[in-house]
Amino acid sequence: MASLLDRVGTGLQALAHGLRLTFATLVGPKNTVMYPIKKVDVSPRWHGLLGLPIDPQTGNDLCIICFQCERVCPSRCIHIEAKGKGKDRLLTRFDIEMDKCQYCGLCVEVCPTEAIVFVPHYEASTYNRANLLYDLEDLHRSAPKEPIARGVIK
Amino acid sequence: MALRTEELILNMGPQHPSTHGVLRLVVTLEGENVVDVAPDIGYLHSSVEKMMEYRTYIQSISLADRGMDYLAALANEMALLRAVETLGKIETPQRAQWLRTLFLELQRIASHLVWLGTWCIDIGATTVFLWCFREREKIIELMEKSTGGRLHYVYFRPGGVYEDVPEGWTDGVLAFCDDFAQRIVEYEGLLTANPIFEVRTKGIGILPRATAINLGASGPVGRASGIDFDVRKAFPYEKYAEVEFDVPVRQEGDVFARYQVRLEEMRQSMRIIRQCVAKLPAGEIRAPKVPITLRLPKGEIYTRTESPRGDLGIYLVSEGGEHPYRVKIRAPAFSNLYALTEMMRGWKVADVIAILGSIDIVLSDVDR
Repeated sequence: MASLLDRVGTGLQALAHGLRLTFATLVGPKNTVMYPIKKVDVSPRWHGLLGLPIDPQTGNDLCIICFQCERVCPSRCIHIEAKGKGKDRLLTRFDIEMDKCQYCGLCVEVCPTEAIVFVPHYEASTYNRANLLYDLEDLHRSAPKEPIARGVIK
Repeated sequence: MALRTEELILNMGPQHPSTHGVLRLVVTLEGENVVDVAPDIGYLHSSVEKMMEYRTYIQSISLADRGMDYLAALANEMALLRAVETLGKIETPQRAQWLRTLFLELQRIASHLVWLGTWCIDIGATTVFLWCFREREKIIELMEKSTGGRLHYVYFRPGGVYEDVPEGWTDGVLAFCDDFAQRIVEYEGLLTANPIFEVRTKGIGILPRATAINLGASGPVGRASGIDFDVRKAFPYEKYAEVEFDVPVRQEGDVFARYQVRLEEMRQSMRIIRQCVAKLPAGEIRAPKVPITLRLPKGEIYTRTESPRGDLGIYLVSEGGEHPYRVKIRAPAFSNLYALTEMMRGWKVADVIAILGSIDIVLSDVDR
């Protein structure tokens, strides 16, 4: 009998404790974010979409066409073409297949001129896979005014 | 007339929500008793080992992140880099070593939290799942602040780490530790003394010590069966030799013991993290003169690390080029899956879920 009373007592105690917690959580701060309406801020080092910033002084790409990012990419999703020689070398094609990209950041790491940077943006889903092929124009448009990811290791 | 009984073969998975991935269990039942269990794996095979042969060592890091155990990406990076650095005799700066130790332990807590949450949802405790993911989110945010990734970080490099942690990051880690110390007490309050939880876990799915050793069970599964072995203690890497921590060992070998071991491991990880933050020196984070296309000398090596799932080994053969000749991954979840049949034989069909969850399986790690 005593053990039964004990168990009832413990049960009631646990119930009271649980309900107290429930009501405390009801009015307490929320841990969730109403996603499409509110959005979570990402860190400045966020491995998000990629962008090609333009040099504000010359108006040209910062890219010096060294092909290092193309070579280091594990998914081989960067395609670069250029024309001209010496100082007149001009970027004619810089395609990134974002559907293949695995956001590892090796291209940002190896770039000697910080010509390819991460953009703090994470909503890239689309209904058509072809939209995920980002060409030079797309990458220029997505680039921030100032480089936000550090590409060069000191 | 006597009633005839016959064995029933039940297919569980590969789309079953409780198999934690694409695992198919062919369960032979006699009534409600499990006679035999045959795990059928290979649904998530991604040929990581073969793909590594065509990639340079730095490119393999991102592969180790994804292709192996995706819940503990940094532990995989560490395993690969330990082999690469040992074979290439690359010295890592002190600060990078301390940072790596810190990150590995954060990763261990995050991985165990996923395990605790999903396993508890399997055996019917939904609250723990939400609470665990609330705390895990804090770890992921810390990771994101420092590495830029939330699950796949590509943060360790041969000879160091990619970036130094941002200003004030270690304060965030300490704040998390202070908060998390209380949270573990909450989880224990929900589970340990809970009579339903005790009935579902205590004495269930016993793996004897000798069987565990024979089948190569490692990590928390082995330690719950009384094997006092932890690679961090036995073959210390990074800074594990210089930090104080205990290796929790239980003799029971049942599901409850595995739960206790993992919970205690989280506490020990916090202890290591606090020591790492206290001892974190200033200085370089990356060894100079480690080229992007790293060439290792000719030779072969086997190194092992302690991932959250157990003893994660890498056997690496180099022919002297920029690609490995062969990489063999000794996955802890694969070896622990071997022990599953022994654990499940003789128990009821309802225990199958509890036992399967308790070995903390990640199918990406099993199949590779």
